[in-house]
Amino acid sequence: MLFNSLEFFIFLPIVFVVYWFITNRWLRLQNGFIVLSSYVFYGWWDWRFLSLIAFSTLVDFSIGILLNKEEREKRRRSLLWLSLIVNLGFLGIFKYYNFFVDSFVDAFSFFGREIDGRSLDIILPVGISFYTFQTLSYTIDVYKRKLKPTSDFVAFAAFVCFFPQLVAGPIERATNLLPQFFSKRNFSYNLAIDGLRQVAWGLFKKIVIADNCAKYVNLIFADYQEFNSGTLLLGAFFFAFQIYGDFSGYSDIAIGISRLFGFDLKQNFAFPYFSRDIAEFWRRWHISLSTWFRDYLYIPLGGSRGGTAMKVRNTFIIFVVSGFWHGANWTFIVWGTLNALYFLPLLLAKRNRLNTDIVASDRWYPNLKESLQILATFFLTLIAWVFFRAKSVSVGFDYIVKMFSMQFFQSPIKDFDISILFLLLVFILIEWMGRKSKYAIEGISTLPGYFRWSFYFGLIILIFTFTGEQQEFIYFQF
Amino acid sequence: MKKFVKHIVYFLALGLILGEIIARFFFLTSSIPERRIDEFGIQRYIPNQEGYSKGGTHKWYINSKGWPGKLPENYDNLITIIGDSFIENFMNPDSCHQMNFLKELAPEFNFTEASRSGVSFIEALEISKQLDSLKPKVHLIYINETDFEESIVQINSLTDITQLDLKKNKIVYGKMKAPGVKKILYNWKFIFYLYRRFQSSFKLPKPTKSTEITQNSFTNHFDYFEDLIDYCRKNYNLKKVVIVLRPDTDKQFSAFLQRQDLNVIQLDDSRDADWSFEHDHHWTCYGHQKAAEQVSEYLK
Repeated sequence: MLFNSLEFFIFLPIVFVVYWFITNRWLRLQNGFIVLSSYVFYGWWDWRFLSLIAFSTLVDFSIGILLNKEEREKRRRSLLWLSLIVNLGFLGIFKYYNFFVDSFVDAFSFFGREIDGRSLDIILPVGISFYTFQTLSYTIDVYKRKLKPTSDFVAFAAFVCFFPQLVAGPIERATNLLPQFFSKRNFSYNLAIDGLRQVAWGLFKKIVIADNCAKYVNLIFADYQEFNSGTLLLGAFFFAFQIYGDFSGYSDIAIGISRLFGFDLKQNFAFPYFSRDIAEFWRRWHISLSTWFRDYLYIPLGGSRGGTAMKVRNTFIIFVVSGFWHGANWTFIVWGTLNALYFLPLLLAKRNRLNTDIVASDRWYPNLKESLQILATFFLTLIAWVFFRAKSVSVGFDYIVKMFSMQFFQSPIKDFDISILFLLLVFILIEWMGRKSKYAIEGISTLPGYFRWSFYFGLIILIFTFTGEQQEFIYFQF
Repeated sequence: MKKFVKHIVYFLALGLILGEIIARFFFLTSSIPERRIDEFGIQRYIPNQEGYSKGGTHKWYINSKGWPGKLPENYDNLITIIGDSFIENFMNPDSCHQMNFLKELAPEFNFTEASRSGVSFIEALEISKQLDSLKPKVHLIYINETDFEESIVQINSLTDITQLDLKKNKIVYGKMKAPGVKKILYNWKFIFYLYRRFQSSFKLPKPTKSTEITQNSFTNHFDYFEDLIDYCRKNYNLKKVVIVLRPDTDKQFSAFLQRQDLNVIQLDDSRDADWSFEHDHHWTCYGHQKAAEQVSEYLK
């Protein structure tokens, strides 16, 4: 079920009413209802894949309990490996099997040996990368004794499949989300209104910004050889906002809906395009994934504690794995590698934690230095996004080469609707004004009621007016 | 919770009122005429209605016979134009009806239209049967392959469309589908606007496996189509009928009809984008004029 679909607009009020008015007295029943509605939410797409979530839930729940009982380190490690093999095994089969087979066939073919690699005829289960990482965080934390395992299976199942963030995150840590299933939720007016406001902003980002950018992105990337460098630059620029609007919009909706149900999820995006360097960008972009990799991969590998060689190795590993997490394609690996190359000079010069505050926090606008830093960082990410969006690595390189050619004004794009640029400008301004908050329009709650309601109606009118062709959320495929 | 529910209800109520005002003021949707089922079992419009098109750019009229468009000044040397929403043509001004363009191009004939959105091929023939009392020279029926498929119960049983049951060799007349709900929907302009605006995006295609290939289903239905044509030869005067195939008609279907020895005009838009609206596959005024030019060539 998509957040921007009619089914969901029917589903959500029904779940809300049953959740608060019928099941609220009994915590276990309420958690059970979350599991049921989450399974309906997921099964709407394809019910067959519910078995994967159910199996993964059962495995990690059981391993958690066994880890708690087991004192022998060797046995505990075996249990951890079992969880890793099951979870990453599913991910490997459904997401990466065909990629490895095709890559081996290509590699052998390159050296003149033709081999018969059989690809599997399979569908990638929606959100598998997200819920796999969420359950893994639980098992690893229990293994490391940072978290006591739960014996409440229903609460654990609700934690794994909680529908607002099941298919595209934020990837919640068991330490943050799981305890929220153990305590009785009380309805909070302010929290619910704040949640709805964040949902509206998320829908605006997705429907108005991302989907309208997508129209031109699809057109330009499909026929990039036909366009001039200015249009290709515009295509990359639009994609930067498409992916941001799409993914951060989804996160806003997920966090907002969770608040409606009395849950507090972690912030996933913190205005990344106002970053002054790549290190800051990665502290603000897809925070739940970046911190996951930091805590469960980078730090266990030694982090930045060792010598230069170790720092370089670990940085590359984390960025390449992060790229590979996004999809089984070399383009994502190049995207990750490029970001590692951007990040490495900052790390080696020990300048990666230079910008940890909010840009121009005490001023209306940034100074010249900050503006140039923001533009340079945005431009670097924009180059990397080309590979993220391109069909293949060679297409990505070709696109970039053409983007820097001298044919800036030849054969511009036809039927270009200038209103998208105006919308983007308004969007960037609102994001800038709200950059100190958890989401751009959070601060509106302090303004008079008539202004707030006018703003909400204005937002809804914009959503209706600019609703283009419905696009799936990009991160569903990851 | 009480306060929250109260505010949500206020917000929704105010939103609906504001939306309704905006929808009516800016004519966000066209008005839809009311239908009835006539004494022959055919759905047609209640006579002498009028309404606005989307955007309020022009008005549409339903004539005294219950069909969109004006009636001819006289019925001599008459040609009837029968079809679905393309001929109904609510999206264009009155001057852009096929009958007006054809009258300009072939003034020796008089033209009258009988159209309603959703008409199937068999229903178009049923309408032609009723219009035979006007002694027309020719019935022009504007369709494509979908209207053939929708004519046969055995391919896809549709209760609101007149169809032929090939097993029983009998016409099954279409019934009005939820007329009460439709009446409310058409008059509640804002809700109707939302319905039309998001109708196509309610369902996204589910992900398919890479090996799943979609095929044109109608190519499997040629046997049914032959039976339909046999029935039509026996029950209607097909000599008088000219099938005008829209430019989007599949070439295999067009060739199939030609092989059946029927009178066929295959319209050709030569991929001219101006034929149709940008977000609507219906023809623009320009498209109607071009179609009329090709049909008038045939009539000459």
